[in-house]
Amino acid sequence: MLEREAAKYPFLTEAAKLVDALNLQLDDLASPAYEKVLDRAAERVVQAIEDGAVDDALDDYMTELLSFPIAVMFVSAKGEPFLNRRYALAEAVRVYFLLQDEERDKLAQIARDDFGWALKDSGERYDGVLHDFRLHFHDYLRSSSSFHEDKWKLVNRIVKNGYVLLTQREVARLIQGEAEILIKDRLKPVKINLPEPIQRRLDRVSKVFEENRTRLGGEGLPSEVINEAFPPCIRFCMEGLLAGRRASHMERFALTSFLVTVGMPLDSLVDLYTSVSDFDPAMTKYQVEHIAGVKGNRTKYTPPLCDTLRTHGICRNKDDICERIKHPLSYYRIKARRLAYQKPPLPPQASNITQQSQ
Amino acid sequence: MESDWGSPRFVAEQFHRWYQSNARAIPAPTEIKQREFAFLQFGGKTMFRHIGFPDELTFQRYLKDNGPAHSYHSSSYYQRPEADMAGKGWVGADLVFDIDADHFDLPCQHEHDTWKCKNCDEEGTGKHPEICKCGKAAFEEETWLCERCLQAAKHETQKLLDMLIQDLGFSPAGDLVVNFSGNRGYHVHVRSPRARDLDQSGRREVVDYILGTGLKAEYLGFNLRAKGGRSTLADEGWRGRAGRALYDYIASTPPEEIKALKLGRKITNLIVNERDKALTILEESHPSILLKAVDLSDDEKLMSDLSKLMEIAVKSQAADIDTVVTTDIHRLIRLPNTLHGKTGWQVQTIELDGLPDYDPMTSAIAFRSGEAKVYVRHAPKVRIAGAEYGPYTQEAVTVPMAVALFLLCKKGARIEP
Repeated sequence: MLEREAAKYPFLTEAAKLVDALNLQLDDLASPAYEKVLDRAAERVVQAIEDGAVDDALDDYMTELLSFPIAVMFVSAKGEPFLNRRYALAEAVRVYFLLQDEERDKLAQIARDDFGWALKDSGERYDGVLHDFRLHFHDYLRSSSSFHEDKWKLVNRIVKNGYVLLTQREVARLIQGEAEILIKDRLKPVKINLPEPIQRRLDRVSKVFEENRTRLGGEGLPSEVINEAFPPCIRFCMEGLLAGRRASHMERFALTSFLVTVGMPLDSLVDLYTSVSDFDPAMTKYQVEHIAGVKGNRTKYTPPLCDTLRTHGICRNKDDICERIKHPLSYYRIKARRLAYQKPPLPPQASNITQQSQ
Repeated sequence: MESDWGSPRFVAEQFHRWYQSNARAIPAPTEIKQREFAFLQFGGKTMFRHIGFPDELTFQRYLKDNGPAHSYHSSSYYQRPEADMAGKGWVGADLVFDIDADHFDLPCQHEHDTWKCKNCDEEGTGKHPEICKCGKAAFEEETWLCERCLQAAKHETQKLLDMLIQDLGFSPAGDLVVNFSGNRGYHVHVRSPRARDLDQSGRREVVDYILGTGLKAEYLGFNLRAKGGRSTLADEGWRGRAGRALYDYIASTPPEEIKALKLGRKITNLIVNERDKALTILEESHPSILLKAVDLSDDEKLMSDLSKLMEIAVKSQAADIDTVVTTDIHRLIRLPNTLHGKTGWQVQTIELDGLPDYDPMTSAIAFRSGEAKVYVRHAPKVRIAGAEYGPYTQEAVTVPMAVALFLLCKKGARIEP
């Protein structure tokens, strides 16, 4: 692989091989010769936090290539799931911009050779739009899994014989999606002692991250449970429960995981269930604790995405906030903030919005 | 004398006997070593789970020895199927679909299904309301079935198969297995490498595709800015289906029903008073022409009215599948060709070509000889193997074994000594 190509797409296996061949150690990187690389690595993460996109600085190929694994190390060292998502997306956006300038064949080559996609040529026109390619729906669903706009839903695509018709620009966007997944997979929590020059850059990254945390929605949840801020879907589940309607498994799961996550004590939750229906208290306690991650495989479940609730018919009575969010917890944060503004001004120490890890 | 409705001991004995002679004809699911199995016995409340079999013979011996009331296998493949959930090691799962007439709204349900409020004793036929007059929502239900429910389930299954084959490209010969569920519906299993490693979000998209959930007509030709000349009615996938759905809706919906939707004046006028014109446009021209024919300057209102229409219209083209079964990647599903403990019928694998003529109430009968005398507390009329039985109310009757077991499994009767 050419250095220029590797600098553009450093997350590809071939690019990683190029880096490995240099056999660089952490201490090597601490030497003044790599100042530029370290600075660019920190800059990548800072750009991700501040702008949501890493720029495509291609004036120095080696700096661009080597700074990527170091930036990945910075993000991994932070161990913040929210930063992981933001960084992976920002790097993927950079890729999307670079892909815009690539030839049709180059796109196809990355998709087929580097990602192993079943991508075929097409040339069909629908509604006056040329669809250059068709991609097997299996690859399409994976690479588009983080996209939430209606136009990417499979049901809104032309799907024939297993293949989804796509324009060239759409293929570039899907490569972005796949790149995001690949980069996210590389971000695994690590604990390492870094030599001073590297640690100094990481500290800078940390500072920028903390400054921007609240603005970017990576903040915690309100410290008290605010019933009035529940999204309409959760209210629907709650009202069903109170009326004694036999709730579907998904409804109960959505409600329980939501209430646990926003901080309702487990005992109150068990009381709530057993008081309104003939649930067996012991069984209910077990199930609630299972969802809370106290029992069983110790996974703490977070509530399902809006998309999931829609599939299962639980997304009801949407309002204006619903149009802006993809997750019921985001609704809860926004609504809680709104309610706090609407209340008569409180002295700062009485505000019920505090930082809390999620 | 057994006083329990359903006489579980008698039924268990019949099941056991059936498995004695038929177990060896029940094929094991593919890749048996990677599957989890689960069983329920008559009268038992605990499911025996996390069972694994090394080969077909061991599997058949289990059925023969235990004669279970309900038998399941995992749609998933595991490294260690016998471990608990955390230790199983998920490697993939078939894509499975469940179509069950229980979820449909059908006129025949008023003839054979009843409900009763647990709180105020209010009762009725068909499906129970969301919430009873008394404000509570807990009901006792009695559900039976008839040829019409089964026919409706088959119709949905055929629509599903059409999408799996034509749109998603699965091979009818190699990838798809269709089973009668043994009760009110059908199960479709997709076994393909392209389905196996789909994650939950991918499966959710497939579910939305099959149900038409989240469909926006503007991406399927109904777009004022779209250029292009031809009608979409013959197009593949949802592009064609959306056009046909709207066509059928306009052609067959009574004017009062359309007016009740309270759409804009101009669009209502076009599809009610100028219905033939609207239909001709859909048949001969690009859907954008239909939108232009509404002649409304407020595009946003036009598109929101269109999406209201579409939401209703697409139901006729969608296949009514259970959303949870398909998105669950650890699902247990009925083991094909075993017996269903709530009907006494066989869960039966059907050749795809044979589906149009398949009649479960003739083909899925497991108990083909002998008869039994039962006391029936209540049962609607049923048609089994071409003959009609019932309706029965508090009477003793002698009927063929298949009918007796059906009435017993439905808990509508008990063995008369």
